[in-house]
Amino acid sequence: MARAQDNTNSDFSKKNTVGGHTPGYSILETSGDVLDPISLNVTIKDAVVDPMKYLLEFNYGRVSELPNGTTLREFTLVASDDKVKEISPGVFYNVWMFNGTVPGPTIRATEGDLIRINFINNGSKSHTIHTHGIHKAEMDGVFETIGAGGRFTYEFTAEPFGVFPYHCHMQPLEEHITHGLYGVYIVDPKTPRPPADEMVMVMNGYDTDFDTENNFYTVNGIPYYYMHHPIQIEKDRLVRIYLVNMLEFDPINNFHLHANLYQLYRSGTSLVPHEYTDMVTMSQGERGILEFKYKFPGQYMFHAHKTEFAEKGWMGLFLVKDMTSSSGGQVYNSTPTANNMAATVYSQGQPLAQKRGGDI
Amino acid sequence: MRSKGLREKVGRVEENNDGYNKERGVIKRSHRKRTIVAAFIPLMVLAIMIFLLFSPTFQSFINSGISLPEVAIEKIEFRENPGQIIAFIRNVGPTEITIAQADVNDRIHAAAIEPSKTLSRLSDAKVIIPFFWNPAEPYEVGITTDDGTRFSKTIEAAALAPNPDSQQIIFFAVIGIYVGIIPVMIGLLWYPFIRSMSRNKYNFFLSLTAGLLVFLGIDALIESNEIATDNVSPIFNGQMLIVIVTTISFIALLYASEKLTQRAIKKSMSSAAAETTSTYTPYSNSTATNYPQTKSQVNQRQMQELVKPLAISLMIAIGIGLHNFGEGLAIGAAVLLGEIALSTFLIVGFTLHNTTEGLAIVAPLAKSRKLMLRRLIFMGVIAGAPTIAGAWIGGFLYSPIATIIFLSIGAGAIFQVVYSIGSWVLRSVDNNNNDKNKKIVTVNIFTIAGFAIGMIIMYVTGLLV
Repeated sequence: MARAQDNTNSDFSKKNTVGGHTPGYSILETSGDVLDPISLNVTIKDAVVDPMKYLLEFNYGRVSELPNGTTLREFTLVASDDKVKEISPGVFYNVWMFNGTVPGPTIRATEGDLIRINFINNGSKSHTIHTHGIHKAEMDGVFETIGAGGRFTYEFTAEPFGVFPYHCHMQPLEEHITHGLYGVYIVDPKTPRPPADEMVMVMNGYDTDFDTENNFYTVNGIPYYYMHHPIQIEKDRLVRIYLVNMLEFDPINNFHLHANLYQLYRSGTSLVPHEYTDMVTMSQGERGILEFKYKFPGQYMFHAHKTEFAEKGWMGLFLVKDMTSSSGGQVYNSTPTANNMAATVYSQGQPLAQKRGGDI
Repeated sequence: MRSKGLREKVGRVEENNDGYNKERGVIKRSHRKRTIVAAFIPLMVLAIMIFLLFSPTFQSFINSGISLPEVAIEKIEFRENPGQIIAFIRNVGPTEITIAQADVNDRIHAAAIEPSKTLSRLSDAKVIIPFFWNPAEPYEVGITTDDGTRFSKTIEAAALAPNPDSQQIIFFAVIGIYVGIIPVMIGLLWYPFIRSMSRNKYNFFLSLTAGLLVFLGIDALIESNEIATDNVSPIFNGQMLIVIVTTISFIALLYASEKLTQRAIKKSMSSAAAETTSTYTPYSNSTATNYPQTKSQVNQRQMQELVKPLAISLMIAIGIGLHNFGEGLAIGAAVLLGEIALSTFLIVGFTLHNTTEGLAIVAPLAKSRKLMLRRLIFMGVIAGAPTIAGAWIGGFLYSPIATIIFLSIGAGAIFQVVYSIGSWVLRSVDNNNNDKNKKIVTVNIFTIAGFAIGMIIMYVTGLLV
């Protein structure tokens, strides 16, 4: 008994360290707790989403073929509005979710497919699903509000090809969106885009103290997540990002890529890029497709160039690995300012394993 | 019913004296018992109430509301090598809270929190944020709780926190000497000047002193109020604390000064009596008994004349000492909080302002004979030296609550002194008029002008600070 207590005491006297992730800052030792959502890799028990899983998960629905040869893709989206989830380490917020995550699942189809979304409202308030794209008025999810416990089936043809948001369209709109009722809807062209490492990124924010200003900014739901879980990509391999801005309150958001430029396809509705750049600025609901390759291995940051957003969570890292050389990994450990980080990065960098055919 | 029965019993036993006394004793005892029970019944009911309030049933009944977290950022310090911003926070909400993150200027930064990120009700913690801050720039420090609520505090101009090393200790001591001791001593030099003046002019200076002190007292209250509203979380009810401490200080010092005067008079009386007895014993009994009595009466008046002003001066010195302690706290804290840049001009301002305090101490003493220089200097030190201690405490361990308490004690002390001076001046006016017209007890133009000019002097010299 006494021994056990001694052990606990020695645990308490263990020093924690703060800092090291910011270039030029010395490491601070403390006998207390560490508050560090930027570089601290803590397990978030009740996270609002698994950003790494979300990044790579495209849901193609339950597929069947109609008599006329059209592909039917059926999805089920369940809305909830009573859950309190961890949106940043140690911060709990009442999120409203489609299928239990913010952002909601990514729906993907090919141009011309018939999409059927079985919507179940498990929340205590009325909700809808408003999908961007071309469809009939009664499938727009605006006037047919679905009350608590209600159901509705949205059915429309996937057109045109591009990348779109879907979101709840109940009033007050801002409240329903900022609480988390949104997701990405991708329509592929009939002739597929060239093969690439594909990922989806949603830029969002959380106003946890309800002052109509965001306290947190994220890409894919959790602030700084890709800072301590860098996205591992391959040198010289094409990367394609489906990027959607769902940020409320702030009129703009943007995406800046370090040490590289990307081809930008605004709204993803064209196969010809609009711009070759390292900076795209998007208003609320704007989106696009970003394509790039990295020429050199190493660790590269991507973040909002509205630096306020970056410093409140909207920043991440790509870890570019040279798969042809086995010694590639050594390079990153020599980064003088972030030794710790590089070490962490290396053990956590996750190889891309694209998940296809989700079954929602 | 019962009381009637008792009355009957009392009525009956009145006939028999012995029985009556005996009965009365019994009644008294039962009365006492009942009084004790009566005193405890409400307490017992209260205890039962509290027990019921904490019972699970009632808890679930009353806990239906939402308890919002409340965090007070009490103090922010800036340090160098390495650059750090340190926020001292306290949970002043109704429930235990957990701190999730810290930010500087609304930008999230990694931080350490000691001893723990979980704060029980009213407990405090130190949040250390590694940060390269720039001197003289404003900074806002934010603390976010686990429900995403952010609390913040802004510092107008960042300044390096004083470290209690020998250099800083000397620095604050020198400031304390300049602001506290030197001006008071300069003021004391007015003693010969005040001594040689007429009663009216003397009353003018006494009133001037009262005016100075009223200004200082109100100034202390306003200062405390500012601290109470800006730096003390509402849960501590800082403004009420000012009222309570000031009142208690006033009453307690009033009592103390009365006792002090009485004791001093009694002491000098007994020594005078001893003197007279020894002197006059050889003479006949009748004269020997009569003469010393009249002599001692004369002595009493003389003693009062001598002791009373001395006591007033001492009380003024103590009151001003407490005030200067508060002033020292304020100066030290202002340096710490980065609210003022200590400049020569500011120190000159304080010096001019505080010189009047020396005048306040010597004014009541002017008409008393046999004043030792030693005593005068002693009073100057009582009034001035606390500034040094105040600057140390304010600079090194700033606590808004302690500052409020000291300023309020000072305010109470000052008002007590004003009361003493007031009654002293009025009595002296009365004495003057005594010969011609007993009923006229009034303030004359000298006292009014003195009082007004006293406050105006303080206001004007206060503009320099």
